[in-house]
Amino acid sequence: MADKRINKAELPKLLERLAQEHEVFAPARDGSAMVWSRVEPGDVLELEFTNTDLSPKGFLFPQTERLMHFKNDPEDPEGMIMEAEPGLPGKRLLLNIRPCDAKAFKVLDKVFERDEEATDVYWKDKRDKTVLFGLACKDPCPTCFCTTVNCGPHFEEGLDALLVDLGDRLLVRPLSETGERLTADLEEAGQEDTEAATAQKEEAEAAITRGVSMENIEARNVLEEYEHPCFDRIFEPCINCGTCTYYCPTCHCFDIQDETQGELGKRYRTWDTCMSWLFTHHTSGHNPRGTKKDRVRQRFMHKFKYMPIKLEGSIGCVGCGRCTSKCPVNIDVRSVVNSMNEQIGE
Amino acid sequence: MILKNLLEYIGIEPGRVHFSWISSAEATKFQETAKEVVSQVRELGPAKRLVKDIPMEAA
Amino acid sequence: MNETTQQIRAAAKRLLEEGRVDCVIGYAKGTVPMQEQPYFAYTPEEAENLVWTGFCTNNLANFLIRRSGRNAILAQGCVSRNIVGLIKENQVKREDVYILGVHSPGMLDAGKIKAEFPDKVITEVEEDGEEIVVRGRGFEERLDRKKVKRNNCYTCTHRNAVLYDEFIGQEGPQTGGGDIDNVAAPWESLDPDQRWAEFESTFKDCIRCYACRNVCPLCYCDVCFVDENNPQWCGKGLEEPDVFTFHILRAFHCAGRCTDCGACESACPVGIKMRTLTSKLEKDIRELYGYQPGLDLETPTPLTVYRPNDPDVAE
Repeated sequence: MADKRINKAELPKLLERLAQEHEVFAPARDGSAMVWSRVEPGDVLELEFTNTDLSPKGFLFPQTERLMHFKNDPEDPEGMIMEAEPGLPGKRLLLNIRPCDAKAFKVLDKVFERDEEATDVYWKDKRDKTVLFGLACKDPCPTCFCTTVNCGPHFEEGLDALLVDLGDRLLVRPLSETGERLTADLEEAGQEDTEAATAQKEEAEAAITRGVSMENIEARNVLEEYEHPCFDRIFEPCINCGTCTYYCPTCHCFDIQDETQGELGKRYRTWDTCMSWLFTHHTSGHNPRGTKKDRVRQRFMHKFKYMPIKLEGSIGCVGCGRCTSKCPVNIDVRSVVNSMNEQIGE
Repeated sequence: MILKNLLEYIGIEPGRVHFSWISSAEATKFQETAKEVVSQVRELGPAKRLVKDIPMEAA
Repeated sequence: MNETTQQIRAAAKRLLEEGRVDCVIGYAKGTVPMQEQPYFAYTPEEAENLVWTGFCTNNLANFLIRRSGRNAILAQGCVSRNIVGLIKENQVKREDVYILGVHSPGMLDAGKIKAEFPDKVITEVEEDGEEIVVRGRGFEERLDRKKVKRNNCYTCTHRNAVLYDEFIGQEGPQTGGGDIDNVAAPWESLDPDQRWAEFESTFKDCIRCYACRNVCPLCYCDVCFVDENNPQWCGKGLEEPDVFTFHILRAFHCAGRCTDCGACESACPVGIKMRTLTSKLEKDIRELYGYQPGLDLETPTPLTVYRPNDPDVAE
């Protein structure tokens, strides 16, 4: 697929084209926060930002989502039937999503669509109806480390198209059939555009100087890594809130709750966190992750060891750095993973 | 007192929530207070604040 | 590096070398701007990592709960008052904690600093006397420290530790300069509809991460009411009645105990100002019971004792 280009002055036309078929969402400034916001033709798009505060995970996996509702009334012909929830009424497009967040969706696909017989239909419905137009990173933020977790500021996997900000214009690289179709009207990019984009990619990748090394984590067997002495100290400042898990684009634990009143009821799922003592507390009272150390270790082992094993090498982290910048006690995922990677007995 | 103040402070209408010390030997006081509460709350109309409406959400 | 930091390190080293304590609880320099990390020094070498800055925004008393051994803890006024509270509530034994009292410089609010540079990436913030230096991509600017302090610190009543085994450095001015009664309970002057509007808008962004609850030294229940499911007091999702119930009930559980340390507001990732609730509760406690939490080890918390002349609802 050939690269395209568009002058920034013509972006409104592209937005109009995209909005014809989709509800379009894009990052927007809200004070000093960056939030995902519905954009309509005529809105000005924000291109100078590092990343949104909350990841776009909520578009495909909302924090609170009704799974079914029911009426417990044998007399009612419509009672006693679990009504499934309707899917999304139309298509959505996430414009200017960062490549790391798009890659996170690929990781979550492996979680939610793992088994054809038991696909998470709530995820799949939204996933199939959502188009991703990414905005490549020019200036990675100080907490980004995507290049060291199989991702990068211009990473293309998972996107329908990648936009690269080249100053007065954008390179538009279609990456899927959908991306190709939606950008068919744009003029082709010149060689200097493609070269400028490549140069920006290399500069951005070089700007990420603080990352993680994982070769020892990968090489060791699970139990050896589990017993790594670094875990004796890492957990100490942690307050076991859910901030890191909720801001993370790849965290996916959820709780299921039923609420009823009279004969009407609903079942919903809501984001949960391995940081909570309830995380895997059994009804028997037994709690395999009962201490703070166990839970903190659980999170990092899951994302950096268990997930790569179970998901054909996919790391449960895309290097967005949100957990580190939002953690109220400054637990830095880079420090943690690098500690996990240290030689044991050092 | 503290709780009543807090609820009114966040915007629950005065008269929506009542607190009263009544002994089981004060039947008359109980009756009067109950009538008072009912009439005040009726005047305010249906509660809309801090109301979790599961039937509505579940319908 | 400021002088207090050096003195803290020296005291910590001494205590660890002499074996007086198993661990010194303080802060280490953070890996991101505007946030230091709670740090647990077990050896004199580790004590060299301790720092004391305007970004020590957590409440270290939180870490004393269910902690074994003898621990030294760095505590400014509000934190030391929480330690007093925890001792009174039998969560901490006085003889097991060695309090390193210190004067608070007034903590800084990362949110306010970021708001001064809404579209810029900040890479470093340094304190320099009455100013702070903010450095980032393509800029360096100075701000007046007083403009960007954490809200509760302006109206602080006890910047110096109230209970301590050893005081580090000099005792500084005791108050933050402002009057808490001028800013507490900001919605009191509004009518019910306005109050509800303010309340809704203050708490609507909550994501139920519980950072506020978990960073608070008062919240140490084995099973928090929001984790209870038999009965379930409060739903777990984002529906407004559930979010609101969590906040008002948590605030209420802190009534008569909250020292206005501000750790909750510093910890909140979305910037919710939950002190709008606790300031009201503590104001009522001051007015109705004449009590301020954590100033002495003898006076019991007003909501834990009955007195015949307790203020009554009188209905």
